[in-house]
Amino acid sequence: MLEYARADLHQRQYGTALGQLWLIITPLALAGVYYLLLIIIGAKGGPERFGHLTGTLFLFYLITNSITSGAKSITSGNRLILNSAFPRLVLPIAEVLIALMRFLPTLLVYLAIHIILGLPFTVQMLWAPLLIALSLFFAVSGAILASLINVYFRDAQNLLPYFTRTVLYLSPVLYTSADLDDRLRFLEVINPIFPILDSWSAVMVRGEAPDLSTVLLALGWSLAFFAVGTYLFLTREREFAVRI
Amino acid sequence: MSSLSASKVSSAPALDVAVRVKDLGLVYRTTLDKRPTLKNRLHRITKRRRQTRIVHAIQGLNLDIHYGKVLGVIGTNGAGKTSLMRMISGIIPPTSGRVEVYGKVSTMLSLGVGFNAKLTGRDNVYLGGLAAGMSRDEIDEKFDEIVEFAGLGDVIDAPMRTYSSGMYSRLAFAVAVSLDPDILIIDEALSTGDARYKVKSLQRLQEMRGENRALIVVSHAMKTLKTICDEVLWLDHGKVMMRGEPTEVIKAYREFLHVGTTPETDEDL
Repeated sequence: MLEYARADLHQRQYGTALGQLWLIITPLALAGVYYLLLIIIGAKGGPERFGHLTGTLFLFYLITNSITSGAKSITSGNRLILNSAFPRLVLPIAEVLIALMRFLPTLLVYLAIHIILGLPFTVQMLWAPLLIALSLFFAVSGAILASLINVYFRDAQNLLPYFTRTVLYLSPVLYTSADLDDRLRFLEVINPIFPILDSWSAVMVRGEAPDLSTVLLALGWSLAFFAVGTYLFLTREREFAVRI
Repeated sequence: MSSLSASKVSSAPALDVAVRVKDLGLVYRTTLDKRPTLKNRLHRITKRRRQTRIVHAIQGLNLDIHYGKVLGVIGTNGAGKTSLMRMISGIIPPTSGRVEVYGKVSTMLSLGVGFNAKLTGRDNVYLGGLAAGMSRDEIDEKFDEIVEFAGLGDVIDAPMRTYSSGMYSRLAFAVAVSLDPDILIIDEALSTGDARYKVKSLQRLQEMRGENRALIVVSHAMKTLKTICDEVLWLDHGKVMMRGEPTEVIKAYREFLHVGTTPETDEDL
């Protein structure tokens, strides 16, 4: 799985210095564009706001890139599936690994921004690996489910960009959870990514411990997605060779 | 329902039997649309049209395949040849019956095996080897031999999407045989190579038979099947029509198809 991910990244030229640079420039440019948007609409907040935007945006794209690439993993891996006996779960999980490898350089970029902006470094930042693990768990679950749906409905992947954009606006990336109007507080519960990003912002931007109930909510969503996704996947994978 | 993730190779050998197939059946449901989409599904629901059809790919099939023998498999398109090979390889679990495999299987089921066209030949050799259970050191050891057999030279470091079908086929065959399989399955996958490659690959198949391995060759190339096979199995609509001496089975198959011995029906492997 690791070799598959590595070979895929190598094929996309990410093994070269220019490729690595591209991995950093792209998300940074994206964060810049969104920050410009925040300035134009007159959003409040200085350095902490930019720190929140970049930190959560990078993690958001780890999750959604995993799901978007994972969605195509089974249908685009048709040659492998038709000719080799191996656990099909490997394919969506490998896409999450690829997304993780693309995320790691952006983490370094965030830390540089964190230092430049003078944001605090505290012991609570040690929660970060756990939150990354939680994000990956959710990303794997989402990728498995999306890959399965795409086998049965090939046009589902056309809807993914709209879905991703909607989830971005429903998540605490362009705003913080504190900015939410009381009428919209339900988003904290019904959006599975919300508690992950909210905890990430608390830990990485403000250097605070995450709210335990928020972490547990994120874990609950991830477990639910994982249980449903893997059950449906494992009970349907025998059909893949005749469906793709 | 069995899961592919849990498929296993039987460990207990049964004398010289390489593969034992008992009352094998494969039934699957497939969509009527070539490309299943939500749009088509909704369209069919609103028009109250049938959504899927049921395919009986293999029906009550029994078969023993022995070590040191080459079994040829023939049949018209849709006869169930590839489905049978995929079930023996563990790619598709059977709906009924069982497949017992006593040894390591290597497959070359269609052009390119499990290659990813975006990756280089080198990457694909390593990925294919690792997926088949080889260690990186083992692949390192065999790598030069694979490249030499495939006759690819420096092209091995080019993306496989730039390969010709013959180059694809040569590399696929070289990887499949380098895995040192006990059982090698080749399904209509050698037809694209040039004459030199065909001679080389057929020689390798003969060597493997001499090494007491079991070979299963699915092909429409009757002349080649007569030359290399000990037995031929004729399938039609998922059932065994005949099994036996190659010349006799091929003769019966040709009579069934109402075709004689022509260059077209004798097409090379």
